[in-house]
Amino acid sequence: MNIQDYIVSGIVESYVLGLASPEESAEFERMCAAHNEVLAARNAFEIQLEASIQQQKLEPPRELKSRVFSRIGMEKDAQPGRFKVSTGKPTLVPRIGFAKYIAAASLLLLAGSVALNFYLLSEYKKSIARNNELIAVQTQVASANQVLSTKLETYENAMSLMKNPLMAIIKMPGLPNSPDPSSMATVYWNTESRDVYLLVNKLPMPVRDKQYQLWAIVDGKPVDAGIFDMQEGLSFVKLKTIPKADAFAITLEKKGGSSTPDMNAMYVMGKVTG
Amino acid sequence: MYDHYSGSLYSIVLQIVKSPEIANDVLQEIFINIWRRIDTYDPIKGRLFTWMLNISRNASIDMLRSKNYQNSQKNQEITDNVYGNGQVTQTGIDSIGLTKFLGKLRPELRVLIELAYFKGYTHDEIAQIEDIPLGTVKTRIRNALLQLREYLR
Repeated sequence: MNIQDYIVSGIVESYVLGLASPEESAEFERMCAAHNEVLAARNAFEIQLEASIQQQKLEPPRELKSRVFSRIGMEKDAQPGRFKVSTGKPTLVPRIGFAKYIAAASLLLLAGSVALNFYLLSEYKKSIARNNELIAVQTQVASANQVLSTKLETYENAMSLMKNPLMAIIKMPGLPNSPDPSSMATVYWNTESRDVYLLVNKLPMPVRDKQYQLWAIVDGKPVDAGIFDMQEGLSFVKLKTIPKADAFAITLEKKGGSSTPDMNAMYVMGKVTG
Repeated sequence: MYDHYSGSLYSIVLQIVKSPEIANDVLQEIFINIWRRIDTYDPIKGRLFTWMLNISRNASIDMLRSKNYQNSQKNQEITDNVYGNGQVTQTGIDSIGLTKFLGKLRPELRVLIELAYFKGYTHDEIAQIEDIPLGTVKTRIRNALLQLREYLR
């Protein structure tokens, strides 16, 4: 279509007056953008229309102005962001300048967010490492605690047995056969139940294929009272029940014990008194 | 802005809703709407006055179609038939600006402009109301608009 024909087709007037259909309006806006003549014709008609209507002014009632302004003032107070969903024809047109700022701002935000993510990721890795260290330490502490409480339990058990007033205490000092003359062991013998407990005060550590064995001397004859291993710390072990004994002695025997004691390897001995 | 434009917008509102009381309410809504929506005004699409004029026209026509308005008009027994005689609108505003122009139009064109511009009917609706072909409606409105253009020049 010829541009001049288009201009005089009435579209300019119907667009400006709001009589054009949405399709016609969209086409007219395209034509305005593409052809300066169309834009100029629209502008000329708008100016004429405005001038004509401005001539027919009718003063609205005076109090209307203050009503309008007080309403606007109220809305301003009530809603700081004054963009409201509006009714009617004019549609929200995103403004390009504003969109640019939004785009620039979102790029900045994105960059900031990426940097923050990296920072947080490295912090996160650090905390995981720290956390693992803490877990390891905590495990160590817990197992040390376990060891201590086991030890404490052993000591408490030993202590409660030693405290028992029924216990007969037989000290066995070192004999000349012992490599260490200061060797000593003590038998705690329950005079009621006849249970025998042995406390190692000081004995040389046996070589690997040897084991200490306790003997009860009954009517001059040695009776096996059990073998035992040396332990670190408190060596307090329950051995066999011995109904009757005159003395107790410890010999170093082959591993597993012997049926008769090696008299040459008798390290300590103590007599039962009373 | 209010001082500069309220008079002309008021005259347009009054031409559409007829009653001054209703026009007051509508004009108040119009200015609040203008204030709320000024961010949506796009200078590429036209002059500020054109934008405000269209908001005013739309608001007035919305009022015209609302229940409240129709009830109030029923009680008033409208005597001025805008189409029948030469009297286009109520006394007092018929000899100025656009209304003056309408008075100069041939009756068959004036009726259509009244329906289209001041009542907001679509071309299809006008064709039904006036019982004339859609093509004729379009041609007549186009002729009326071109006459308006000449008149304003």
